[in-house]
Amino acid sequence: MTAVRVQGVTKSFGRTTALDGVDLDAGPGVTGLLGPNGAGKTTLLRMIATVLAPDQGTVTLLGRDPSRSEDRTRIREHLGYLPQDAGFHRGFTVFEFVDYVAILKELTDRRARHDEVRRVITLAGLESVSAKRIRALSGGMRRRVGLAQALLGDPDLLVLDEPTVGLDPEQRLRFREMISQAGEGRTVVLSSHQTEDITALCTRIAVIHQGRARFTGTPAELTARAEGRVWTDARRSPAALAAWRTGEGSYRNVGDPPPGAELIPPTLEDAYLLLMGGSELEVTPS
Amino acid sequence: MTGTTGWHLDPEAIRRYAQGAAPPDLAASAEAHLMKCAACRGAIASHVDARRVESIWQEVADRVDAPRRRGPERLLARLGVGEATARLVAATPTLRVPWLLAVAGVLVLAALAAQVDERFLRMFLVVAPLGPLAGVAVAFAGGVDPTREIGLAAPYSGLRLLLIRTAAVLAVTVPIVAAAGLALPGSSRLAAAWLLPTAGLTCAALALTARTTPVVAVGAVASAWVLLTAPATLAGHLDLAFGAVAQAVWLAVAVAGGTWLAVTRDTVTLNLGRSA
Repeated sequence: MTAVRVQGVTKSFGRTTALDGVDLDAGPGVTGLLGPNGAGKTTLLRMIATVLAPDQGTVTLLGRDPSRSEDRTRIREHLGYLPQDAGFHRGFTVFEFVDYVAILKELTDRRARHDEVRRVITLAGLESVSAKRIRALSGGMRRRVGLAQALLGDPDLLVLDEPTVGLDPEQRLRFREMISQAGEGRTVVLSSHQTEDITALCTRIAVIHQGRARFTGTPAELTARAEGRVWTDARRSPAALAAWRTGEGSYRNVGDPPPGAELIPPTLEDAYLLLMGGSELEVTPS
Repeated sequence: MTGTTGWHLDPEAIRRYAQGAAPPDLAASAEAHLMKCAACRGAIASHVDARRVESIWQEVADRVDAPRRRGPERLLARLGVGEATARLVAATPTLRVPWLLAVAGVLVLAALAAQVDERFLRMFLVVAPLGPLAGVAVAFAGGVDPTREIGLAAPYSGLRLLLIRTAAVLAVTVPIVAAAGLALPGSSRLAAAWLLPTAGLTCAALALTARTTPVVAVGAVASAWVLLTAPATLAGHLDLAFGAVAQAVWLAVAVAGGTWLAVTRDTVTLNLGRSA
């Protein structure tokens, strides 16, 4: 089942167009929204989280229409959401905060609710800090608290806005593991401007830029678009859209290679660079 | 615990202990023996209701793991408020100490100033309802409520949350304003004259949340209040906003707003923020 169906959605804030006719489908597994800051990823995710309504176009979530009050409540019962700037009542302990969100999620029976709170705290690896106040936790641990509250009620749809931002490499790896597990059997839609996260986690991606979906497909399909456009050289090539010196001392060039260039296999990051690089390199949405 | 001992509980003692029918001395003795004897623990297992044991264990785990209620939540529990509601009240941003101190500070200053000049007394009457009203608005303001975005995506009823937070804000801020009012010169009737206008304005703002966010609703109601009452009140015509007829009107507004909310509670979607 397609848990998320976004069709022709537009959204403006004053004179700024945040989304301009975006289409997106997401089913079971992890779908990633990739794009630079200000591309419109958060606006799209807030719509998928039922927090924001589109100006035009339609959004269907879990087979329901979030513009209808009754449907919206039903969707929210099966939705987990980690906002980009997830705030916390910092005086609360981890348990108290997750319990507070569980109350908002209508888990009314006290004992069952506390069992569920303990379950998600364990899933997020927070057992040892369950009784600690949130203000005493590191940024990485707070992000885990955010993930724990999103997992309450075992939601069918999980919306994560920049879940790995601000985390150190080890924390990012642990977070990837948690998100990967969360994506088994449910639909996860996450945003990132980190191509490594997208490569590691996502079965499908949408590249959002200036409010439009520049590409939708699998990471392998996007990577394939850079085939034959990445090469190494002893020097920076003037033909390259981007070039950088690698650890081996040679230059990795991305762009239109000169004849006889030593081509190498591209990465998702190369393909993303080409997609973002200029209008002549733009790829139409698939 | 050791595996076996030289003697064992007889079947009748096991049955009575398992059913909770053993007298205290037998129960204590059986308990001490069971700690040491694997054979008797095995024998008692068939007499014990597994669901009852699981339930007891869950209760123990819950008591041990669950957070201790802090001051405000304990107080609310003593007043008969459910623990879930108490937690929601405890998370109301406008019940934070700095906010309450700010409201109290402004009103105390206004009350003290009224001792010096009667115009400040009139100004106090105009300003007094704005404290509780602002509290209601700030309880839902994005920059103040850190979990607003998470709350917007949760299925909890917007009306219920609005009423809980409004009641909590009024329960705390109205006494603060009332205490400041006691410092006012003149009659005690004047010191309480702002109460019904506050109730009326709050109910009007709540009713407006079906159309717009609490912040905008309160802003509109508060602006209308100041524009309509400030000129006459500051000019000394207190009866216009605070006289007997005006008080009756405010009471009617409060009742109408409250009734409208109650009647439409199942059909109206309150707008607690930008929503889908």
